Amino acid sequence: MSLLDAASEQDALEQLHDLGCTDGLPVVIPTAERVARMVLATGYEGDLVLGVMGPLHGSATIEKVSTAAVMAGCLPDHAPVVVAAVRAVCQPEFDLTEMQATTHCTAPLLIVCGPARHVCGGIASGFGAMGPGHRANASIGRALRLAMINIGGARPGSSDMALHGHPGKFTYCVAEDEENSPFPGLHTTFGYQPEDSAVIVTGAEAPHSTFFTGDRDDPASVEGLLDVIALVMANPGSNNVHLRDGAITVIMNPDHAEVIRRAGLTRQDVQAELARRATISVGTMRRISPSFYSQGMRSGGEDSDDVADDELIHVLKDPNRILLLQAGGSGLYTMVMPSWCAGPHRNAIVHAQIELDQACEVPGMNDLTS
Amino acid sequence: MRDSISVARLGIPAVALVTEEFWPQGDFFANSSGMPEVPRVKLPHPVAGTGEDKMAEVASDITPSIVEFLSS
Repeated sequence: MSLLDAASEQDALEQLHDLGCTDGLPVVIPTAERVARMVLATGYEGDLVLGVMGPLHGSATIEKVSTAAVMAGCLPDHAPVVVAAVRAVCQPEFDLTEMQATTHCTAPLLIVCGPARHVCGGIASGFGAMGPGHRANASIGRALRLAMINIGGARPGSSDMALHGHPGKFTYCVAEDEENSPFPGLHTTFGYQPEDSAVIVTGAEAPHSTFFTGDRDDPASVEGLLDVIALVMANPGSNNVHLRDGAITVIMNPDHAEVIRRAGLTRQDVQAELARRATISVGTMRRISPSFYSQGMRSGGEDSDDVADDELIHVLKDPNRILLLQAGGSGLYTMVMPSWCAGPHRNAIVHAQIELDQACEVPGMNDLTS
Repeated sequence: MRDSISVARLGIPAVALVTEEFWPQGDFFANSSGMPEVPRVKLPHPVAGTGEDKMAEVASDITPSIVEFLSS
């Protein structure tokens, strides 16, 4: 890692901006001392390689990842989540190189599960959890982005070809509201124990707000909720509809999750129902996207000419590709995030354990800006 | 670009077709993959959705360059 010289922190910040090493916002200057302290907070040696980040094929060493964490404004408490997030996105199944290079707006959405939500700086899962004002969420997601920029080499318009991007490309991190959720921790569906901590990562569009107002007196209320979410999942503009077989994230607010609880549905029940209901007609696909429709049908081994316009196509074949969790404040809105669905592995959902027993206490470590 | 680099690595002649807008990204991938000289031919941007006549015109324009790369 090369070191820069600057007469002041302000000069250093301008250098980092000029070199394209920032996300456009001011960063904490990663002095050697601050980075060394963050490395210490991870509990690992600085030269440990967590993975390779494309398209630059940079080695994500603990030192480089710690540099990104310092720049993002992370506290040492956040370090285990950042390390796990980098480990997750470096798994080949995530198709990070292609994801960074695509014209789609996709960004890695970090979903933090288990005790790390509380001990790693208090990662928000309630009101505005994906918005501004939550330091841990903002800093952890931003650390991953800065690692993707500086280790992975993603620069807008030359290597990151997202036509527009989206605000989640600055930071995109939420904790699951496990304590109030009708569902077991999302991480347990990936084989973790409830007492484990893990980060689940999916490439996601910006959240699409999904309005639903339930009626406690109406036993069929849950049908309306499932239908409206499925309709948003089958948004004809999303890649999920055109490419299919991607992932879709559904984040229910506590009131909508309560509708599910009252209906006695499990996470698997809801996933299956949403996958069953999220459809688009062949006629619509023929009208809006004849070439992709034709390719999709061919890859499925079916003759598109033999299929009637009113037949329905399922957006997802595998209900397990619906990431369903509770987060957010009480109210009328669930969030639905479509995905990119491309890359050699279809930008698979990945996950990594958050190691909480690696970090060590160091006096004065919580003041990284000194 | 990645496909072309992967194919070239296998020793099979390959030429990447890259549109003008994506030319810098092509350079980036070629350099970061350690194959800065991997053959590539520049296309106008966009090509997709421009219609059969335009695509035929582009194909006709670039075919000699592709053949030249593959025969050299």
